[in-house]
Amino acid sequence: MAAPNNNDAAGGASASGTTSEPAQEDTSIEALARRVQEHMTLASNPTARRHKFWETQPVGQFRDAADHSLADGAIEPPTPLSEVRADPYPLPAAFEWYTCDLDDDALLTDLYALLAHNYVEDDENMFRFNYSPAFLRWALRPPSFFRAWHIGVRAKESKKLVAFISGVPARIRARDDVVRMAEINFLCVHKKLRSKRLAPVLIREVTRRVHQENIWQAAYTAGVVLPTPITTCRYWHRSLNPKKLIDVGFSRLGPRMTMSRTVRLYKLPDAPLTPGFRQMELRDVAAVTRLLRAYLAKFVVAPDFDEMDVEHWLLPREDVVDSYLVESPETHEVTDFCSFYTLPSSVLNNANYATLKAAYSYYNVATKTPLQQLMNDALIVAKQKNYDVFNALDVMENESFLKELKFGPGDGQLHYYLYNYRIRNGIKPSELGLVLL
Amino acid sequence: MGGDWQELAQAAVIGLLFAFLVAKLISTVIAFKEDNLRITRSPPTSPAAPTTPATSAPPQASLEGVRGDTSDDGSDSDWEGVESTELDEEFSAASAFVAASAASGTSVPEQAQLQLYGLYKIATEGPCTAPQPSALKLKARAKWNAWHKLGAMPTEEAMQKYITVVDELFPNWSMGSSTKKKDEDTTVSASSSKGPMGPVFSSLMYEEEDQGNDLELGDIHVSAREGAVDDITKHLVAGVQVNLRDSEGRTPLHWAVDRGHLNSVEILVNASADVNAQDNEGQTALHYAVLCEREDIAELLVKHHADLQIKDEDGNTVRDLCPSSWSFMNQAN
Repeated sequence: MAAPNNNDAAGGASASGTTSEPAQEDTSIEALARRVQEHMTLASNPTARRHKFWETQPVGQFRDAADHSLADGAIEPPTPLSEVRADPYPLPAAFEWYTCDLDDDALLTDLYALLAHNYVEDDENMFRFNYSPAFLRWALRPPSFFRAWHIGVRAKESKKLVAFISGVPARIRARDDVVRMAEINFLCVHKKLRSKRLAPVLIREVTRRVHQENIWQAAYTAGVVLPTPITTCRYWHRSLNPKKLIDVGFSRLGPRMTMSRTVRLYKLPDAPLTPGFRQMELRDVAAVTRLLRAYLAKFVVAPDFDEMDVEHWLLPREDVVDSYLVESPETHEVTDFCSFYTLPSSVLNNANYATLKAAYSYYNVATKTPLQQLMNDALIVAKQKNYDVFNALDVMENESFLKELKFGPGDGQLHYYLYNYRIRNGIKPSELGLVLL
Repeated sequence: MGGDWQELAQAAVIGLLFAFLVAKLISTVIAFKEDNLRITRSPPTSPAAPTTPATSAPPQASLEGVRGDTSDDGSDSDWEGVESTELDEEFSAASAFVAASAASGTSVPEQAQLQLYGLYKIATEGPCTAPQPSALKLKARAKWNAWHKLGAMPTEEAMQKYITVVDELFPNWSMGSSTKKKDEDTTVSASSSKGPMGPVFSSLMYEEEDQGNDLELGDIHVSAREGAVDDITKHLVAGVQVNLRDSEGRTPLHWAVDRGHLNSVEILVNASADVNAQDNEGQTALHYAVLCEREDIAELLVKHHADLQIKDEDGNTVRDLCPSSWSFMNQAN
């Protein structure tokens, strides 16, 4: 009866020190050592980890990285719509699917509360995203959105909303190929239900509902490495209110640095500097669309915006999205454009502050004004509007102004993914023209 | 005659036993391979892997068959791998730790060993369906009992209990592990920090500042920066100059104001610190108070006759920098 102990020993604390089986004890320790080592490697090297769910999905697999025979494009052809599963995936017995109607203020309040209390936090659990109700309506209802893609899970008894996932339709271009995709976002499971493993079934269900609309590709982001990112971006942060950022622990004051010098370092002029810099209005939609389309064509993966999209995504909405442009005082031509969206975070466990107000760089196009000057004006208006920090990813041409405008690197990496679409060698962040909320 | 019969029977029994052992060995090696792959991912449920050769010995096969039937929705793999919960991670880390300490010969009480063994089996394989070993195999029997007596305990509960036992045995076990251990209360919420999908909360990475690395501070500046009132007093009693400058021309008062230590500011001004001392950039302690929006301290400095007309090297008086209307700023001077 020597053998079984090999199997048991690792986690089971096999009764060691028994005298009868010295030879077996040795092999078991060797096996243990190997196993522990393997565990450590797996834990530290994300690409070596197993992703049982994702390995069954049409996504770029780690093992395919070296396979040159694979062409870019769809990984699987569409299946006939009649073969798409007709019924929702089964949920654990106590829960039911619930398609959310965002016109319903009560539902919106519930969804807001679910996310405000259970959505993404930083590694140290000091901050949690606090997407506003108005933001959620904006993010989830772009032109020709599908109500069926606003997927909730409720507890059968209490009718309480306990989990959510969403998709919105988008046309995304990958190289020369404009593809109808779903942008998947706001996957959230109530903290008390994290052990119920709802996330995979939510992902399957949203996939099924996307398929029902004859859409077979999707774009999404994650903070974790899954098979396989098309690119990995870093967040950069520009302090606007350094004292508050230090007080809440968003940034730190080194022992050799003074607060007063830090405050002066990040001081900005009171008003934008570029002549003709003003807020975007409805009458600018056509001009902004032309600017954006020409600019986004430079990138390998980018949205294919038409005027309807621009009107929805970029026309200013208070405390949701802000857009500014430069209109030449002489020719009245719109030459430059910049935008940011508003995503506050709850500050957890701080006596003085409850909320951190962050602006996130969205789409920016500079044709006449230098990009750095344009973004400096964006910082100035964000400061005027009382934002505490201005965040930007190193996508598009952002790298050209980050350091100069005193952005510092963040500790967060954001991985971008495409579902059922292969871009075999991936792309650089600067080749990505897509910002997901 | 009888002897021959006995010998024959003995040979047959030995043969059978040998065959069983070989089969068991094969099954164990296979199971071990699977286990290796499983340990970092969610361990609880791994339905019969299609790669498992059909030659797998009977005990293993039957175990998997039973589990496949009892799982709630028959597609356990759907539920795995996407959501690596904090519990999964912590359990993996704990079991790896136990393995490592067993390998290094750390002694663990027999009772705890058996308890861990049972919980581990439940967490990774589910309820015990293996046949009871012979009463002569004391160790195997004890282990089997430890597993069997847990009955149909849920996987999550087994993982949690396993971690609790490890916590009791080795209170500091998680210190060196890659999985950060949070307070007991936050273990549930912790898994939210990095969801399986969605955005990421990023904050500024801490960088050692390049400026100021050649800054030279006296002990009294450090005490003022930290707001260490007693230490400041000690330095003063020992004869340290209250207006001692650091290499940037800052006095202890500048540092106390910069960090917002009202008590330290009081001690320093009462010790006749120069409230109008300017640093190398021409700024007074009151400039600092205004820039850092420390109203109570600014008011105290104004009461001690801080000069509002002094300009820093950029030509700014404190009123030029004053962000809000602090009434005492207008009454003074």
